[in-house]
Amino acid sequence: MKTKLNLLKGAAVAALMTTGSAAYADCGEVTITEMNWASSAVVTAVAAFLMEQGYGCEVQKVPSSTVTAITSVTETGEPDILTEVWANSTPAYPGLLAEGKLVELADVLSDGGVEAWWIPAYLAESNPELTTWEGIMANPAAVGGKFHDCPSGWACDIINNNNLIAAGAEAGGLERFQHGSGETLQTSIAAAYDEKAPWFGYYWAPTAVLGKYPMVAVEVPAYDAEAHTCNGNVDCANPGFSAYPASKVVTAAAGGFSEREPAAAALMAKVSFTNEQMGEVLAWRLDRNASYDEAAVYFLTNYKDVWAEWLNDEAREKLAAILGNG
Amino acid sequence: MAFYDSIFSALGLSGWCGEAGDGAPLSMADLMAKAGGDEAKGEFFPFPSLDNLNESCSSVLQSRDVTKGIEEGFLAAKPALKTVLDPITQPLSWLLDGALWLFEAMPWFVMVPILVAISYWASRSKPVTIFVFISIMLLGLVDHYDVAMQTLSIIFVCTSISVLLGVPVGIAMSKSDRLQKSTVPILDLLQTLPTFVYLIPLIFLFSVTESKLYGIAIILYAIVPVIRLTDLGIRLVDQDVMEAANAFGMNSRQKLLRVQLPLALPNIMAGINQTIMMSLAMVVIASLVSAPGLGVNVLRGIRNLELGVGIVAGIGIVLLAVILDRVSKAALSRVDMTRVKH
Repeated sequence: MKTKLNLLKGAAVAALMTTGSAAYADCGEVTITEMNWASSAVVTAVAAFLMEQGYGCEVQKVPSSTVTAITSVTETGEPDILTEVWANSTPAYPGLLAEGKLVELADVLSDGGVEAWWIPAYLAESNPELTTWEGIMANPAAVGGKFHDCPSGWACDIINNNNLIAAGAEAGGLERFQHGSGETLQTSIAAAYDEKAPWFGYYWAPTAVLGKYPMVAVEVPAYDAEAHTCNGNVDCANPGFSAYPASKVVTAAAGGFSEREPAAAALMAKVSFTNEQMGEVLAWRLDRNASYDEAAVYFLTNYKDVWAEWLNDEAREKLAAILGNG
Repeated sequence: MAFYDSIFSALGLSGWCGEAGDGAPLSMADLMAKAGGDEAKGEFFPFPSLDNLNESCSSVLQSRDVTKGIEEGFLAAKPALKTVLDPITQPLSWLLDGALWLFEAMPWFVMVPILVAISYWASRSKPVTIFVFISIMLLGLVDHYDVAMQTLSIIFVCTSISVLLGVPVGIAMSKSDRLQKSTVPILDLLQTLPTFVYLIPLIFLFSVTESKLYGIAIILYAIVPVIRLTDLGIRLVDQDVMEAANAFGMNSRQKLLRVQLPLALPNIMAGINQTIMMSLAMVVIASLVSAPGLGVNVLRGIRNLELGVGIVAGIGIVLLAVILDRVSKAALSRVDMTRVKH
């Protein structure tokens, strides 16, 4: 990643030298996480571009995942910006906010994320009764007799397991199949879609997978805060059956970042996508086999009025070339 | 104006090319150049890659079309592949599930003596046998007995199949130079291709919920050394000995079974030892495609930063590795000894 970034920087520097506008402002070095899923990578690429080109920051992208990023920020105060923290699935998050080690900047997905149990749209069409939990338990074989669960070590693994216990899935003839990795979970959806085979399991949106393969959320008992909190605990004595709450998906910064780089922090506080925008960008990317960077460019060229709002006046001036014409 | 425009027009291909394409998505470098208020200049002499040629001639494919084509080709060939491969590999699922069931159903006080007896029978060495016993007891002490047995059963099935398939292939390779030349690149490929590159397509062929998926992953990786070393071992058999065998009027079957294989046995055993080690090394990666056992704990440890869990499971794998290595090495040196005595 570093080398690629240097290449990009090289290109940028070369371009800037020709026009002689290499007047980097007072923004220093900023580290930003690039989480290992599509929407986050797009957010990171967009934010990195705006900070580099608009604010003159030196941005370093850090490939990571939620857990590693949270741990690193707790212990070392680095990286500066965490993109797409799914607050619900990150038990340590409220505590870090309270300690001041993290500062919440913005809801990066303004509609919030959706975590749920899904069946493919074609299955819901042919068997409408399967869109409720009761319907599935009446005939588990219709969904393949398996619940595709997240890999061991993900927060949803424990929550799903407790929910399945509470719902009596095993006794009802629904087997829990735990995937070894997010990749196989994702591929199993694609493979099922390819054959129009039954599939039932956990996933979340907005993601490229749910953008490409329409799924229908299965109706389960409404969100019950107490049961859900208990379900998140491995040793939950009394699991209750509860839907996932709408996930708050936030951009967080390390404590002290706002004082060090107020301009960049103000920008990140405004960077926010609706699920519709994000879904469109991700679907575009998947259709064209494009890279995350290219998806970010697609967003930057097609949603100019959206991101123009995020910038301060100085940055808007710097990026006038892009905002104005083309 | 892209660099290769003039070449296409010089070749008289402008008509075929059509209008200069704008199919490629804008790259980040382009956008950055634009931010600087300048058109992207491009390099002085760009490599004639598909993407660069496409800029001048939209009839030339882009690289992303090639990857897309490969993907579509695979999906088109999938139904045919599936009808052939699915039934052939089905016994692997049964074997793995059966072995898992057997290793788990057997109570520990039966299983441990059996394992100790096997290691004594194979190695005929007291220190090794005692070490095996202590290691298994240690694993049990920290409540890793069940997962260790799962891992062991997977390795047991996968190495058996690797040896059953690998030794005949190795023998065939040693008999035919042409076969050897064509097989070696495949073996190189199996050892170096990143596992996920072939595992993800495999999920499209077989359901991820079937155990043969990880079985195939392990076997493909672990079968290589036993093939290589069988081939090498037979080729290294002394030509003088072969001449003597010829002089005695042995037919080729007798030569293989009575002369070549016994003399190649140390090498073949070394290959089996390596095969066991490699299948153990694959256990963690196989857990990424839902293989049970110690690998799951290692992954959980990594994902949740539960360092203790990861390290204990990791040491469990190392212990298993040392056990299997010591036992197969001791068996190997025993084979060597018999040769010396004769």
